[in-house]
Amino acid sequence: MMLARNLARRKLRTALTIIGITVGIWALVVFGALASKIDLLVSGAHDYFGNKVVVSSAAGGGGMFPLSSALVARAQVVDGVDVAYGEINTMVDHDAKQVGLPDEIVGLVAGSDRGRDTFPYRFAAGRPLGASDAATRNVVLGADLARKNGAAIGGTIRLRGVEFAIVGILEPTLTLPDSQAFLPMAAAQDLYVIDLPEDVAKSIVPSDTITHIVVYPTAGTDVEALSARLEAALPSVTTLTASEFDETIGATANLLSAIIVGVGLISLIVGGLSVVNTMAMSVNERTREIGIKRAIGGSRRRIVAELVAESGLIGLLGGLFGLGLGVLAVTLGNDAGRESGTALFTLTATTAISSVIFATVLGMAAGILPATHAARLDPVQALRHE
Amino acid sequence: MALLEARNLHKTFRLGRTNTVHALRGVDVTIEAGEMVAIMGPSGSGKSTLMHVLGLLHEPDRGTTPAPVLAINGSDVLRQSDRARTQIRARELGFVFQSYNLVPTLSAVENVALAATYAGRGGRAGRNAALDSLELVGLADRAAHRPNQLSGGEQQRVAIARALVNEPRLVLGDEPTGNLDSARTAEVLGLLRRFNRERGQSLLIVTHDPEVGAACDRIISMRDGLVLDAGLLRAA
Repeated sequence: MMLARNLARRKLRTALTIIGITVGIWALVVFGALASKIDLLVSGAHDYFGNKVVVSSAAGGGGMFPLSSALVARAQVVDGVDVAYGEINTMVDHDAKQVGLPDEIVGLVAGSDRGRDTFPYRFAAGRPLGASDAATRNVVLGADLARKNGAAIGGTIRLRGVEFAIVGILEPTLTLPDSQAFLPMAAAQDLYVIDLPEDVAKSIVPSDTITHIVVYPTAGTDVEALSARLEAALPSVTTLTASEFDETIGATANLLSAIIVGVGLISLIVGGLSVVNTMAMSVNERTREIGIKRAIGGSRRRIVAELVAESGLIGLLGGLFGLGLGVLAVTLGNDAGRESGTALFTLTATTAISSVIFATVLGMAAGILPATHAARLDPVQALRHE
Repeated sequence: MALLEARNLHKTFRLGRTNTVHALRGVDVTIEAGEMVAIMGPSGSGKSTLMHVLGLLHEPDRGTTPAPVLAINGSDVLRQSDRARTQIRARELGFVFQSYNLVPTLSAVENVALAATYAGRGGRAGRNAALDSLELVGLADRAAHRPNQLSGGEQQRVAIARALVNEPRLVLGDEPTGNLDSARTAEVLGLLRRFNRERGQSLLIVTHDPEVGAACDRIISMRDGLVLDAGLLRAA
């Protein structure tokens, strides 16, 4: 009550200081939510990866180069391989510029993983592809892809100019499958070949072409050793495992998160300095009052506590306003992004609560220096202060 | 045993590298319980400094011989920590200043209750004590007013209520009537005299005003940082 009255004494200045903290916390909440989303994508991709080894052409192209499906049989007999199967994995639109994961076409023979793919696909509607779909142009769509295209069961979607009948729509997984279209192998091979350079296309047989071999190890097999054996056994291929994925993508994502959170923190430090300034001015204006309190028996500790509580309240209010605006920005951003199939932000409870606590602690810390100064004032001199 | 006993108080202020002011040059003061004493003297005689030292707002110089002594109720406060002296100010001493020195954002009752809080009576107990104290100075109906809604005389009565709320052994007044006209001066002086008579409240008042001095039991006269006359003959 008394605290609020002291803050209300200089309404404009207090408001500006609170806005300073608000902006900082807003930035921290929004950027924190962005970083959480990136973390979620990375860890989701890690889980999605599981213990499998993905084999692709050493020629590069982000795994978009063709491999002969004959290699699958050769991979299957490598020591430590439980299940190996071929897959087509290519971007829907090579020129697409979009934030987040690119839309992908995934083609595989239904059931070829022999039950080893344990990623929890849940169907929002429809059904998975089965053996009977092999020769059809049926498709199962990931959640983001379906939403972006307004897709519904029984409807159609055009992929690279070819029309597909939608038989299934997945629930959101927050990782790769959300932006994937699952096709029967033959249909995917046909689409894949469309975009290949002419000379490459001429040299391959579409029905004999894959882009990746997915390999599941037998129980107890060292995945890294297996991936080395696969690279030795198969001509000009490269392999990717979950731990390699973490090293490359994960490290980049961590750096990105750190930069993003760093930007938020810098804006908070600026906000914190403005609290120091406000409290220093406030102490200066109240020098006489502090002298009165000291004279009539107010201890130094009490003077410090009073001022620190006041600056903590500035921090708390800034934190709450910042969180409110941050939630608003994240919600609006995700609503806008949803139409294009990309939810950019994941606001976690930890981010929300810790940012408000952080703002309060920052406010209190910013008050300590001016408060200590106030408590050390000579009471008689403070009383003479005009 | 005297309520307050001070021996050989010196106080030097350093105003610059070479400019020092010797405000007290060895002052002895004794105040008995129940006394109402005035300190008088021309400007610069050291009377305000003496009150600040006796009120534990300033420390006397250390290292003079003989060593300074400042005993309140028999215990030497110069040996105590700042925190302990702050507690003595809260519980054993009350202050009334020339310019009232009320906290501008607090109402009359909150100003008085603040002193009660500092002496360990917070919350409702402190508020009730503050209301009782305002009643004593005749301002119960003004309890919710802020200082800027009160006249000078009323503000000084709030300050007196604040000084009395913890029933201190000694109330120190620094020109308590200095900003008041003669009617208000008589009013404030009458209040202080009444508390002295009825409750045995000890008072030490720094003043220029001969009328205030005349209302006291004795006058300590100061000049150039020394006590010229402790006024003991008149008291006797």
